[in-house]
Amino acid sequence: MSTAEYENVTTLEEELSLTPDNRPVEMETRDVSVWFGKRKVLEGVNIEFRRNSVTALIGPSGCGKSTFIRTLNRLHELIPSAALAGSVLYEGNDIYAPEVDPVQIRLAIGMVFQKPNPFPSMTIRGNVLAGLKLSGMKRPNHDEIVEQTLTAAGLWNEVKDRLGAAAGELSGGQAQRLVIARSLAVQPTVLLMDEPCSALDPGSTLKIEETIRQLSKEITIIIVTHNMQQAVRVADQTAFFLATDGQPGHVVEQGPTTEIFGNPQDQRTLDYVNGRFG
Amino acid sequence: MSATITFDDTTLPELQQQKPEAPWGRRTSKFRTVVILAVLIPATVVTLLFWFSSIPGPVIMIAVYFPLQLVASMIAAIAVRGTKAAADAVIIVSAIGATIFSMVVLISVLWTIITKGLQALSGAFIFQNNEYISPSTPLGYGGIGHAILGTVLIVAISAVIAVPLGVMTAVYITEVRGRAVPYVRFFVQAMSGVPSVVAGLFILTVFILTGVLDNSAFAAGLAYAILMLPTVARTAEEVLKLVPDDLRTGALALGSTRARVVLRVVIPAAKTGIITAAILGVARVVGETAPLLLTALKNDKTVLNPFSEPISALPTYIFDNVAQPYPDAVLRAWGAALTLMIIVAVLFTLTRFFSAKR
Repeated sequence: MSTAEYENVTTLEEELSLTPDNRPVEMETRDVSVWFGKRKVLEGVNIEFRRNSVTALIGPSGCGKSTFIRTLNRLHELIPSAALAGSVLYEGNDIYAPEVDPVQIRLAIGMVFQKPNPFPSMTIRGNVLAGLKLSGMKRPNHDEIVEQTLTAAGLWNEVKDRLGAAAGELSGGQAQRLVIARSLAVQPTVLLMDEPCSALDPGSTLKIEETIRQLSKEITIIIVTHNMQQAVRVADQTAFFLATDGQPGHVVEQGPTTEIFGNPQDQRTLDYVNGRFG
Repeated sequence: MSATITFDDTTLPELQQQKPEAPWGRRTSKFRTVVILAVLIPATVVTLLFWFSSIPGPVIMIAVYFPLQLVASMIAAIAVRGTKAAADAVIIVSAIGATIFSMVVLISVLWTIITKGLQALSGAFIFQNNEYISPSTPLGYGGIGHAILGTVLIVAISAVIAVPLGVMTAVYITEVRGRAVPYVRFFVQAMSGVPSVVAGLFILTVFILTGVLDNSAFAAGLAYAILMLPTVARTAEEVLKLVPDDLRTGALALGSTRARVVLRVVIPAAKTGIITAAILGVARVVGETAPLLLTALKNDKTVLNPFSEPISALPTYIFDNVAQPYPDAVLRAWGAALTLMIIVAVLFTLTRFFSAKR
């Protein structure tokens, strides 16, 4: 589960020399279908997520992107009527296998949500360290962790003088970066982001995109976005989801972002990326 | 006008002379006349009636002044702003009228308790007990110290039992979300309708008559806890529901167990509300008399042991004294009522203070 295991497989230099398209697979889904009650919302999704790359999931509203991303860290099952078929592999192991503890999965596969959700009862510093307390993870040097993760999230300079302030004082963009820092403090290997910028202004969006690019040197990022320019700016790989009247959400096309946007093979992808629907 | 911007310094002093105004507050003279008439006419009619008729004042206010003011405001509104404004006038005047009416009722109650209660209140009254005092003893001897202690003891026992149970029930409903939730919610709701005398009877028949407990503060605390539990559980449920689900999923996504989500995220976020739930629970029971008559009975001595002997509390003290044929005993009851109200007020202020500090 820790990054140390991979150092035997590939050295850092080797890894950096790999293009995003041939890095080793960190996570993959095999034939994932999802239901809410009797309604099937996703059908046969097969995607590979490569280590230390950014994968964007795009598609019109209601196509199941957010539902899909929540199956990747077992948050989907918290909805009472939820059902799932297929398998989700993380480092080659099925995260839905009976012996797997969902708490451990969520610890390794972090998530940032659409709406910034800092814990209102905690300070800025308390929020960054919240994951350690909540998961019971022991890491020394809390001051260092706070500075490191806030710097990585691009928030350190704005809050370094008021780490003891209530998290509720931050603006929406700052709160979202705080939440990113919080998710980094537990050292996830994969970070899921569900439309992390949809509630933010362009300035904050830009900062978070820079943060994503920086982070992708060390962790695998999967991001749902409605903003196609954002997908082009941050993602190495893109998957296009679509749900039509008769058919539940499915992947129409996936591949390198440059291909999806520059040379799509499917007419529907072409129409979508050019803003003709959705 | 040329395209170049020239600085004309003659405009500057004028700008500085501007004063803050409220242009929307300027009224035409017709408006002022209509409003003055709409206020004066009903007031004059009522004053005349008050002086020259024998109709009692409160009847004039309710049966004459209020309808007259309503009609006058409607006519004034129609004259100034047209027929659509009449509905506005009716709603606003009715709201103001209803508020004044309820305030008058509440303030009269408060005024009666304060004026009568103050006659009894003294240092001795607060700190002494009722031992060696008979109902005919004049004011200045004896007091309610034993009853204040009794109330504090009984309420504390019930809070220690009912608050954790109520909060955990709310946690079961909102956080655990088990299969029994609809039934639990139904029973909690049904229990909040249990008459207080039934709670007292239950403790009496199940614990006291069977010899498990004596008539004591603890038995009374159990009866109070039965009454407090639904209030605490329902209020805590409402405030826990207000905690956004985002926080729960956010905490789960950090690898948190559900227990830690509840203890470290949900309950801290709802802390103020949970304190409120506890206060509402205490406020619900603190004045209940019937359960005490069946479980705690009365005792003129100061009792500190919550298990061994009967104990008086403020409601039972009031109940006892208000029925006495001696004016001083009745005044003592008012004094105890005032003390009870002060205790509740202090309780509310304290918790406001603590919850504001976060």
